[in-house]
Amino acid sequence: MSYRSIFKDETKLDINYVPYRLPHRDRELRLLMEFFSFLLRAPEKMTQRVMITGDVGTGKTALSQRFGANITSEANKRGTNLRYIHINCREYRGSLFLILHHIVSIFHPNFPRRGYSAEELLGILLQVLDEQRAHIILTLDEFESLVNREGSEAVYKLTRLQEIRLNKPQRISLICILRSLKVIEQLDASARSTLQSNIIHLDTYYRQQLMDILNNRVSLAFKPLTVPEDTVSLTAELAFSEGGNARFGIELLWRAGKYADAEDLDTVTPECVRKAASSIYAVMRKSDVALLRLHEKLFLLAIARFFKESEKAYASLTEAEQDYAVVCEEFDVQPHSHTQLWKYLHTLSAIGILKTEVSATGSRGRSTLISLPRIPAYELEKELSILLRKEKLGRL
Amino acid sequence: MNIEDVFSSRLRMKILKILMQVGELNVSEIARRLGVNYKTTNKHLEVFEDEGMVKHKVFGRIRLYRLNESSPKVKAVENLIEVWEHANKQIDN
Repeated sequence: MSYRSIFKDETKLDINYVPYRLPHRDRELRLLMEFFSFLLRAPEKMTQRVMITGDVGTGKTALSQRFGANITSEANKRGTNLRYIHINCREYRGSLFLILHHIVSIFHPNFPRRGYSAEELLGILLQVLDEQRAHIILTLDEFESLVNREGSEAVYKLTRLQEIRLNKPQRISLICILRSLKVIEQLDASARSTLQSNIIHLDTYYRQQLMDILNNRVSLAFKPLTVPEDTVSLTAELAFSEGGNARFGIELLWRAGKYADAEDLDTVTPECVRKAASSIYAVMRKSDVALLRLHEKLFLLAIARFFKESEKAYASLTEAEQDYAVVCEEFDVQPHSHTQLWKYLHTLSAIGILKTEVSATGSRGRSTLISLPRIPAYELEKELSILLRKEKLGRL
Repeated sequence: MNIEDVFSSRLRMKILKILMQVGELNVSEIARRLGVNYKTTNKHLEVFEDEGMVKHKVFGRIRLYRLNESSPKVKAVENLIEVWEHANKQIDN
C-alpha cells in the first residue's frame, strides 16, 4: 500500500521549529540585535538585560530563539565564543538551582547534582565560562515561574553577579520572557530596577498578520497547492479568536493536514480545519443546539449543509438564505423573513456556534460573511437532522 | 607504576573504562557506579593522577576527573580496551 501525504515537511509546523524568517517581528528582531550588538564588538566589557513581554502565541520564544541563532552565528564568525541558552523555567519548576545546574551541565555533562548551593553553582558557572572564555545569552522563558518560586533573591543574584567580580570579564547577559510585567511588581525595588530597563512588548497579531505567518508555514510544510487560501483564512480566523495566538493556528494547520492525510484528500479543506478545531476545543455542546428554536435550527442546518457541500470557509447571508429556503421546503414550513434570519444569525453567533463578520470588499456596499469555525459541518448537520426529524414527528 | 599494577586490579581497569566511556565524573559518582566506597576510589584516582594518567578540575567542593588524553599510557590503554572489546563483539556475533 502506498502512502501519500500532503506534507512536504511537517516538522516545519512543530512547536520547536524556529523559522528563518519571522513575519511581522522584524522590528523587534532588529531591536534585540541593537541591544546586544556590543557582544559582537567588545563582549567582555558589558552585559545586557532585556525583557520580552506578550500574550500566548505572540512569538516571544520564536523571536528570542531566532535572535539567539543569528547573533551566535555572527559572533562565532568573529571568533567570539558566544552561546545562546534558552531555558523554560517552568520545566525546572522555577528552581534557580536546577536552572543553573542545567547550564553547567551543558559544559560539563556529568556535573553532580548535589553538594552545593545555587549561589555556589553560580560561582561555578562563572568559573567555567572564564576557563572557556565563553559568553552566554541566557534566556529565561516563562520567567514568572522563577519569580514565583524564588522571589527577589534569585533575580538579584542573576542580575548583580558581575558586581562581585570587579575588573573581570563580563559573561552572562539575560533575556527574560514573560507574559506581562505584573509579576515583576512582586519583586523588591532593587531587583526590579535591575530588570526593567529594556522591555520589548509583542502585541497580539492581527488577522492579516496571522494569515502571513500561516502562509509562510504553509509554504514550508505543505506540498504546493495543497492548502487553499480559504483554509488559511479560516485557520487565521480561529487563531485570531484565540487571542491572536499564532502557535495555536500553526498547530491547527498541522492537525488539519493530518485529517486531510487520513482521508486521503488532495487538499486541506476548511472542513479539515473545523475537524481539527473540534478536536482541540471542547466538543460541540449538544444542549446548545437542542435549545434553539425551530427556525434557528433550520437556518443552522442550511448553513451546515452549505459548508458540508462546498469547500468554502465563508458563506454570504444571501447564500445561507437560499439554502434555508430549500430546507424549509423539505420540512414543510414557511420560511421566515430576511430580518428574522438576521436576528437568528446574531443569536447563533452569540452562542458561539457561528461567527459573522462584515465584508467591505464588494463595490456595492458591505455584506455579512458567515463562518463555522469550530464545529465540523457534517457533525452539526447530523445532530440537527436528528433533532428536526424528531420535532417534525412531534408536529404530525 | 608497573603495567601489572594496572592490569592486575579490576577496579583500576574499571575506572579507566568508565572515564573512557563517560568522559568526566566526580569521585562519588565513580564510586557509585563501581559499587565501592569513596575512599577506595579516591585512592586509585590519586595513583592514576601521580602517573599523569588522569587529571582533575576543582569547582568549589567538587572535583571532576577525566583521562589525560595527552598521556601515552592512556592512549595505549584506550587502544587496548577498544581492540579488545571490538574483538569480543565479533566473537559474540
